[in-house]
Amino acid sequence: MKSLRESILLASIVLGLIVPCYAEKMIIEGSTTVLPIAQKAAEVFMSNDSAADISVRGGGSGVGIASIIDGTCDIGDSSRSIKDGELDRAAVLGRDIKAHVVAMDGIAVIVNKLNKINALSKKQLKDIYTGRISNWKDVGGSDEKIVVISRDSSSGTFEAFGTLALEGAKVRSDALMQASNQAVASTVGRAPQAIGYVGLGFMSGEVKAVEYEGVVPSKETVLTGKYLLGRPLFMYTNGVPKGLVKEFIDFVKSPEGQKLAEEEGFVALR
Amino acid sequence: MMKFLTIVVLAGFIALSLGIHFSYAGEVDVLLQKLVDKGILTSGEAQEIKTETQEQVKKEISRGKYSSLPAWVQNTKIKGDLRLRYQYKNEKAINGYAKDTQVGRLRARLGLESKINEKLLAGIGIATGSGDPRSTNVTFGDTNTSSGGDGGYSSKFSIRLDYAYAKYSPLSWLNLVGGKMLLNDTLWEPTDLIWDTDITPEGGIIQLSKNLGPNASVFMNGGALIETADTSTNADTMMAYLIQPGINYKLNDTISVKGAFTYYDFSNAKNSAFPTASWYKSTNSKLGTNWQYGFRMISPALEFKVMQPFKAIGLDIETFKLFGEYVNNLAVSAKNTGFSTGFQFGNDKIEKWGDWQFRYIYAMLEKDAVPDFLPDSDRYGGKTGIRSHEGIISYGLGKNTSLALDIYRSWNIIGTSTKAPETLVQADWNMKF
Repeated sequence: MKSLRESILLASIVLGLIVPCYAEKMIIEGSTTVLPIAQKAAEVFMSNDSAADISVRGGGSGVGIASIIDGTCDIGDSSRSIKDGELDRAAVLGRDIKAHVVAMDGIAVIVNKLNKINALSKKQLKDIYTGRISNWKDVGGSDEKIVVISRDSSSGTFEAFGTLALEGAKVRSDALMQASNQAVASTVGRAPQAIGYVGLGFMSGEVKAVEYEGVVPSKETVLTGKYLLGRPLFMYTNGVPKGLVKEFIDFVKSPEGQKLAEEEGFVALR
Repeated sequence: MMKFLTIVVLAGFIALSLGIHFSYAGEVDVLLQKLVDKGILTSGEAQEIKTETQEQVKKEISRGKYSSLPAWVQNTKIKGDLRLRYQYKNEKAINGYAKDTQVGRLRARLGLESKINEKLLAGIGIATGSGDPRSTNVTFGDTNTSSGGDGGYSSKFSIRLDYAYAKYSPLSWLNLVGGKMLLNDTLWEPTDLIWDTDITPEGGIIQLSKNLGPNASVFMNGGALIETADTSTNADTMMAYLIQPGINYKLNDTISVKGAFTYYDFSNAKNSAFPTASWYKSTNSKLGTNWQYGFRMISPALEFKVMQPFKAIGLDIETFKLFGEYVNNLAVSAKNTGFSTGFQFGNDKIEKWGDWQFRYIYAMLEKDAVPDFLPDSDRYGGKTGIRSHEGIISYGLGKNTSLALDIYRSWNIIGTSTKAPETLVQADWNMKF
């Protein structure tokens, strides 16, 4: 009996040392917007599959796409579509980059909850962010200077906002740049005159989302395209995914995975 | 069902992308909406099909562009640039005589880099120039053919082979470069204190690089450059051996540092004959027609970069850099040092309309600090024994085109007599492709 216990103990130790060597490893890198979905999904996936070893990193959409093209990660997260120049580079390197839409995101335009403004038109928002309008009274609010909050240029949220809301126009030079969605929400929540934009999943209790072109951002309006500041969130792979990568992508797109995305504040596809 | 619908939508998008003229984009949206209305698809599934199909079509169009080209075209990159320059120079000679000159100049460069195979690249470039290793400029109407002019009266300009090299990368951390190389492939320096940026050295270089985690990487350049190869006499070849270890370190998301330490050994420099070409301006110590001293130099260099340095006070300036380098010629005990220091702020690269950058460099180079055929030829004619201020402002006019204004104010520091100050103003219009 004693030798059987010792044998079991020895076998457990040996297996405990061997199994990690045979664990399937995967690296996910890229968008900080997609990061919470990737992290949560990886956590649940690994709890269901102890052989999986998934490492999740941020760095921005550009980093995610560059890494999948270079072959230094298995899944590249992005909150924007791959650019033509990136596709050209992938073509030269012989990479077959495949897009997987894993959720939708609405970019909510937020103001402090004490602000009496509840709606902005496309022109008004663009004029505020490009410097043509600097006082809330010019859009029906109180006579106070607008404090404009934006994201730094490495952010996919900034790129999407710049394309969808500003149509490529440059953000005013006195805008305060923040490094994350949380930082934008926090700043707007503390400053009654502030305006900012965040992914729907990053709303806080101190801010409210305004109607944009008469539409309130919600799951329905983002999915149907009625809310104009909606965008797909991507996981890019090199070719048709196989093995652990396929299993993970399938999990993220499954009802269980989509529920996780919804819990993180994004718009589920199912 | 999802796969069938995806194929139908993909066919529609491909047709649209090939330019078939019916309003298919709207009709595909209508089709997907009808399927949603009938409960065959959810809104989310429709959005997923539409977006993934758009991505697939974009990718196919991009691959189509490349697969229809011959392999050698796919593997070759062509680049070049044209610079038009107005130059004003005010010189006050040692005897007090002042001279003003105004000239128009241009520089045209064309190069190609071709992937021979997975591990081997070859690069060839041609440029305007007169043979001066430190310049690819030609001067409009330059009738002085003995000093490199093409004759004036709208004479045709000379084109020279600027570089021709091979780069072999057997491993991800190792490159072997040989031929007439680009200066960037030979070594790193934050200013042109020692090397004029137009120099394309000849010889071979080994480049090593290694990542030390997400925030740091180290590199090493080392090799041998051929300065002279006189096969007609028993004169020894002048070689420049160099070794340059360096490091890149990212302190955080916004602050990074790059540094290197270089050792140079110009073998057989002492007692070698100095050049007799018209571009050469002799300022090192000489014995007759030969160099009096050798050159064994050490040179530490550092560059410190901050992204968005003034964000806290609401100023949108992309980068701020502080840099400096020092040189000491160990082969001689006096007048053997030099340094440059400066700063730069604005956009890191001038890529589009409105991008701008200001750069300032202060440089001092004693008489025998470095060989006098190396330093920036615009800084007091490329001589040693100088002090100089330089300010450059650049402004983007659009994609691939910019203006620049570069002003030097330089003085002689050799001897105790007059400084012979010189002011050089260069207004450039740059275009690249």
